[in-house]
Amino acid sequence: MMAGKVIKYEKDNIDTDVILPGQYLKLHDYDEIAKHAMEGMDPNFHSRVKKGDYIVAGKNFGCGSSREHAPIALSHCGIKGVLALSFARIFYRNSVDGAFLLPIEIDEQTYRKICDGDEIEVNTEKNEIKNITKNEVYKMKPFSEIASKIIAAGGLFKYKPD
Amino acid sequence: MAKTLFEKIWDQHVVTEIDGRTLLYIDRHLVHEVTSPQAFDGLRINKRMVRRKDLTFATMDHNVPTTNRSLPIVDQISAIQIQTLEKNCKEFGIELFDLHSPNQGIVHVIGPELGITLPGATIVCGDSHTSTHGAFGAFALGIGTSDVEHVLATQCLVLDKPMTFEIKVEGKRKNNHTITAKDIILSIIKKIGTGGGAGTVIEYRGQTISELSMDERMTVCNMSIEAGARAGLVAPDEKTFDYLRGKRYVPKNYDDLVDYWRENLKTDQGAKFDKSFTLNASDIAPQVSWGTNPAMTADVTESVPDPHEFAKGEMSQENAAKKALEYMDLKAGTPITDIKINRVFIGSCTNARLQDLIEAASIIKGRKVAPTVRAMVVPGSQQVKRKAEDLGLDKIFKEANFEWRESGCSMCLGMNPDILARGERCASTSNRNFEGRQGAGGRTHLVSPIMAAAAAIAGHFVDVREWV
Repeated sequence: MMAGKVIKYEKDNIDTDVILPGQYLKLHDYDEIAKHAMEGMDPNFHSRVKKGDYIVAGKNFGCGSSREHAPIALSHCGIKGVLALSFARIFYRNSVDGAFLLPIEIDEQTYRKICDGDEIEVNTEKNEIKNITKNEVYKMKPFSEIASKIIAAGGLFKYKPD
Repeated sequence: MAKTLFEKIWDQHVVTEIDGRTLLYIDRHLVHEVTSPQAFDGLRINKRMVRRKDLTFATMDHNVPTTNRSLPIVDQISAIQIQTLEKNCKEFGIELFDLHSPNQGIVHVIGPELGITLPGATIVCGDSHTSTHGAFGAFALGIGTSDVEHVLATQCLVLDKPMTFEIKVEGKRKNNHTITAKDIILSIIKKIGTGGGAGTVIEYRGQTISELSMDERMTVCNMSIEAGARAGLVAPDEKTFDYLRGKRYVPKNYDDLVDYWRENLKTDQGAKFDKSFTLNASDIAPQVSWGTNPAMTADVTESVPDPHEFAKGEMSQENAAKKALEYMDLKAGTPITDIKINRVFIGSCTNARLQDLIEAASIIKGRKVAPTVRAMVVPGSQQVKRKAEDLGLDKIFKEANFEWRESGCSMCLGMNPDILARGERCASTSNRNFEGRQGAGGRTHLVSPIMAAAAAIAGHFVDVREWV
């Protein structure tokens, strides 16, 4: 169980260029990369995010570039998971591959109910999201078998097929 | 059973099934300086080798200067990233087309021009625009750095089988010079949306697609990712085979392969696609993006849309359009042709091949860039640059006051010094008009090369059909 506060962006198509602008793709140090997370649309993000926080956003989160720096930036400044209506494929895959963060698909109703600042808890075994602030429970879309195994193993290179 | 082209390629590359997913063999792996350093580090830490260095090729493109290459690189962090790739390629025995190679260029431009890209192949690269290679009837997809490491180590990738999406473009374009491949793909994305291709591999079909040149097919396939698709492809034909014949890295038994490809690499009659969409090419006008994603695009004859009308009742769309207009500093109702620009970028893996430069040059010959505009041409590769110079295009561009640069990704993604200043507005032949993509606070309008060139001359967007 992992509880954290929600940073909500009511926006579709949050792209990798705003998650981590191209100029920082030269950086190799993950903590340095993290300092620029979300800089393209929310320059104060790094100063307000806390370890264990979640991002909630609309459709097609992470569209654009294949840069793994995008989930790395979010994960290394503390983001535990992104709850979105849908994800762009490469971002989703990168998040799982490195076990950087949990890309969680939610439905419209859940998206509307969770507010900025709410405290939530994600239970990936029960596929539930508990909103502690509002005392509500929502369903999340379960991970595929292989994605949950890779996440549980701590990334693609630690995962061993049965 | 009747199969689509994509299904045939997929089936031929299945190694095994793992936990409900497929382990797929990869035929070609292209590597560049930005998404590879951590992958090579991973190999080193785990004492792994590159499994098929003969199928792996590297170049430097994202972060390279487009100015004089005999001078040292000013940005030290960029210089280190470039040196790191050199070191890694040497250590792991990978062929590298470095800054001084006559074959250096944008990875998606050099793959085809060197014959690394082949019909029926599976191709990956740590770059989302890998879909470009689909123009040759390949299954080509972008991957992240962990997957780059996985392919370096195993030459395989774990994937789930995508759905198939048929996009038919039928009919005649009104003019093949002014209605370009860029206008076709922007029109498609405008209609199906940035998530319209999600979970699918698109096969572009129909009379219009068959009539496109290879350079044009690459432009179309390149932007498949902007519709959210995993990949896009076009069935190979005689144009494809002629383009690749004699290229440096094509297999020795090329003509035998062509016989096989001709026979097999096509969608069977009666094969079923999961999705289908048809566009009539005769309806297409030159396109100009007005917003902050590629679906926010209008005909050049239209005006900047009202967010309420644009959204057709969808609140999130309306808000996105409002925010986009705010960022772009545009007012609803402004005719597209009234939008003034101060920068022009002709380049990128979308539109920096020879045909793109020929089309752009055709409209500027004998004209000058507007005094309020700074315009640059960044050829997609050293080969493109040389061929353009052989045709005298560099002179045409320079006489019109365009900057004529060395090859690289340049202002498409704003990693090197070629960036927009805050508030600058650019007519760009690249693929993404995302906020800050070409530099923090910069404003990008996606257009075709001929539209970009005409905008450079006029200082604002023009309907280029009126100029030819």
